[in-house]
Amino acid sequence: MATTPDVTVAGLVRLCRADEIGEGRSRGFDPHETGEDTIFVLRSGGVLRGWRNACPHVDGAPMAWRRDAYLNADGTRIVCHAHGAEFLPDSGTCVQGPCIGKRLTAVPIVIDRCGDLWVMEK
Amino acid sequence: MKIVGLDSLIFGVDDVPGAARFLVDYGLTPVDVSEAGGRFEAMDGTSLIITRDDDPRLPPPPAPGCRLRKTMMGVADSAALQAVAAELRRDREVRALPDGSIESVDDSNFVIGFRVTVRRPFVLPGEMFNAPGGVVFRPVNSLGVPPPGTAIRPRSLSHVVYFVPDVLKAEAFYVNRLGFRCTDRFTATGPFLQPAGSLDHHTHFLIGAPPQMHGVEHFTFHFGGPSEMIANGCRFVEKGYQAFWGPGRHILGSNWFWYFNSPFACHIEMDADMDLHDASWTPREATLSADTSQTFLLKMRKKWTPGPGIHENGDYA
Repeated sequence: MATTPDVTVAGLVRLCRADEIGEGRSRGFDPHETGEDTIFVLRSGGVLRGWRNACPHVDGAPMAWRRDAYLNADGTRIVCHAHGAEFLPDSGTCVQGPCIGKRLTAVPIVIDRCGDLWVMEK
Repeated sequence: MKIVGLDSLIFGVDDVPGAARFLVDYGLTPVDVSEAGGRFEAMDGTSLIITRDDDPRLPPPPAPGCRLRKTMMGVADSAALQAVAAELRRDREVRALPDGSIESVDDSNFVIGFRVTVRRPFVLPGEMFNAPGGVVFRPVNSLGVPPPGTAIRPRSLSHVVYFVPDVLKAEAFYVNRLGFRCTDRFTATGPFLQPAGSLDHHTHFLIGAPPQMHGVEHFTFHFGGPSEMIANGCRFVEKGYQAFWGPGRHILGSNWFWYFNSPFACHIEMDADMDLHDASWTPREATLSADTSQTFLLKMRKKWTPGPGIHENGDYA
């Protein structure tokens, strides 16, 4: 389940190359080596965004149904595959399901000049 | 009105190939499956059926966002089927379908079907134990751990759990109209329900929930014992599927459990060794909490062994 980071520098953890996550795709990461993916990154409208892998409906509930599977089939909604909550990929706002109006927790990510994707270590 | 249990659950999904792979990895056997969907059977012929969520032949969901489109229940014989139809026709439409089944709707807006059960009798020993002082033992020279790679298959569709907006109304429908019996209850949460033709602790569990949760919490199939269930769950995790709760053992019903996220907008469980009850059973009642919902809860870790040079998440290295 975990995707172990391969480099840690200056309070940042490298996740992957940014171009490894295509449009309408998502990928989970375990930057703090907990044994489970604690964040995920998705690309929507050309923009990469990071979110905590924690549905607001059940505190901390993991959201994917399979490794890296955080989106619906056409990549237009983030889905919590526990009870079907659907979130807008740009704002993280729940628009369908048990936690309507609540939001996912954003995770700041950085893309460096070489095209590598990083997350703050904490 | 002898309803014997669940025969099939029908879901509409947006990713048929992904859901099909999920069900095969869970252990079900694909039958008549194409890119448009198909049926995935347990050993006794009970099944999960999937199709594209925009298939116009699907009944409507009970509420937006719910992927369950129909719950098909099995009855003992054609007389029981006629009795169910006659009862439901007193106050609602009952459609007779070409396959001989009937279809209607419950008081929580779930589409329900009934047919003479497709369950195929089969004989296959469950997990056995060598307990000192016991009466039934695993035979001498038979092994408790099956060889690696041994197929593990779900044996039977076990139960479904609905989120319902009015739990008292929902319970009254199944008890007063369809002859179910409450076996146990979580106070202010809902009842475990058993149909008249089954001894299983429950085939339905109803949970009162706000309207935006109206739908399904989980469904599950029975496995042959705790070792099968845990081994199958470990294989499932190793294939990349997301565990949610378990493995552990419930108190009400006693069944071993392991819950996973699914592509069906609800959890899917693996279960084993559920209690059986008959009409002499007195229902219990408990307030839902971590202490009342499980006698123990285990936490999975990657395979590991103690020894020099082995330290990945090891407690003693």
